[in-house]
Amino acid sequence: MSQDTLQDFAGVWIGKMSELVQTIIGSGPIKYIVNWSRMYALWPVHITTACCSAEFGAMMGPRLDPERFGMQAVAGGLRQCDLLIVEGTVTKKMAKRLKIVYEQMPKPRYVIAMGDCACSGGLFHDSYSIVNDVHKLFPIDVYVPGCPPRPEALLSAIVKLREKIRRQEVFA
Amino acid sequence: MTTEPPSPGISISKTAEPSTLDVSVGPQHPGSGHCRILIRVDGDYIVSADPDIGYVHRGCEKIAEYRNYVSNIPHLERPNIADAIHLNWGYVLPIEELQGVVVPPRGKYISTIAAEMNRIMSHLYGLAIMQGVFSGHTTIFMWAFGDRDLFIELAEMLTGARLTYSFLVPGGPRRDLPFGFEDRLSRLLDYFEKRLVEYDRIFFSNPSVIARAKGIGVLKREDAKKLGVVGPVLRASGVKYDVRKVEPYGAYADLEFDIPTFEEGDSYSRYLIRFEEMKQSVRIIRQALEKIPKGPIARKAPLVAPEGEATGRVESSRGEITYLVMGDNSDKPSRVKIMNGSFRNLIALPFLVRNVHVADMPIIYGSLDYWPVEADR
Ligand code: SF4
Repeated sequence: MSQDTLQDFAGVWIGKMSELVQTIIGSGPIKYIVNWSRMYALWPVHITTACCSAEFGAMMGPRLDPERFGMQAVAGGLRQCDLLIVEGTVTKKMAKRLKIVYEQMPKPRYVIAMGDCACSGGLFHDSYSIVNDVHKLFPIDVYVPGCPPRPEALLSAIVKLREKIRRQEVFA
Repeated sequence: MTTEPPSPGISISKTAEPSTLDVSVGPQHPGSGHCRILIRVDGDYIVSADPDIGYVHRGCEKIAEYRNYVSNIPHLERPNIADAIHLNWGYVLPIEELQGVVVPPRGKYISTIAAEMNRIMSHLYGLAIMQGVFSGHTTIFMWAFGDRDLFIELAEMLTGARLTYSFLVPGGPRRDLPFGFEDRLSRLLDYFEKRLVEYDRIFFSNPSVIARAKGIGVLKREDAKKLGVVGPVLRASGVKYDVRKVEPYGAYADLEFDIPTFEEGDSYSRYLIRFEEMKQSVRIIRQALEKIPKGPIARKAPLVAPEGEATGRVESSRGEITYLVMGDNSDKPSRVKIMNGSFRNLIALPFLVRNVHVADMPIIYGSLDYWPVEADR
């Protein structure tokens, strides 16, 4: 056997091996455990884009207590976070920064669009300085309409997102 | 600000001088967001600071020109939804002046009650986040937010919304006090007065809070006057100026209340002044509930305003808000100009954070109770 074929053989073998590992992890009980731990570690990035942040604060407060779902009260570094909540209007100046924030987050990452403004422009749809199509910046998992949405609505969006995570494939 | 920062978080770059560094804080930072502060540090000391605002500029003033007077109300109160009634009232006052509509006394009292409730809610929000979280005190965040929700419930009972009320229209408030509201509100105030004592015990007399905030970021009386800061920041520097006394609107002329002032002008007195104002708000609401007259709550106002211009001033929780409204015989204003407390108080930040430790900057920033959305409009 020449050197080349050996390497080819090894490459194929390793490729097959990683596929095998992925199949094992991505199925059955291990997938369940991975998704379960992701579900209970949704840390939101704290980037407030507009006034909806007041209701985000109320959601983080003692009434609804999202810590029972594993949502840590606002972690500082965005490299530890996996949930981006777009809290309201995204202006043109903020959109660039928001995209960078999204790109800096580790995968898997999820996005909730909070408020009418983040969903479709809302009250300020005809303003000269805002971005109406936030979904063109990055994919959005859950939309929460309302101006501002009640904290309960935001919490139910998080519950929906957890449901989505529970059913997702590990290597998507 | 010539170069863009590589990261919206906190990034550091070298400067011409070897001993200093430029640090860009924001707009994504653990504190608040939507405001970037460029600071130059020498070791652990801040040499200069330069706030970069405008991340939430939504063009409220321009939008106001192509919507009619009443449809302008919702979006003109969005700049500060922790303090929506005051923004709303400041816009409605000049329109009423232009149209020559006089609000009936009962309407004025209802507006005053709603506004003072809003002041308490807004100060609790400031106490929870701007003062509590920024000084690393999570207990007060939980307490203040829990109590704020009780006021929000009552505001919802009165106006139908949690934060964005759109409660005042030209002519008066939209609704009368609902059945059982007075009773619930006075019981809530009894509870809240007890809680204020506990806040004092856990936060304001807390040695760690005093050590962090006392003597930090001193704004002297003369400087406060020169910089043109308003509201609690001005009063914490010893200037007794409050629009509710100077140019009474609503029912404030009939009600008795004090204007708390402090002489020190440091961050701690800016914390305390909001605490004292909450006590005064409780006093105002109590009196208003007692004195409220019977009768109609609102008058019918025309949808069109005549030609001319008028200004309205209200004392919001973050300082004086001035609205200028120009009418031109149509149902849309030809110009709306907003001046608000957050914007005028932020100007003090670069002066206050000079030669302080980097760790003191959040304390000073929090003591200004800056609400970026309001400043950017
Ligand atoms: S949806 Fe309403 S509350 Fe939320 S950011 Fe937009 S205007 Fe503000």
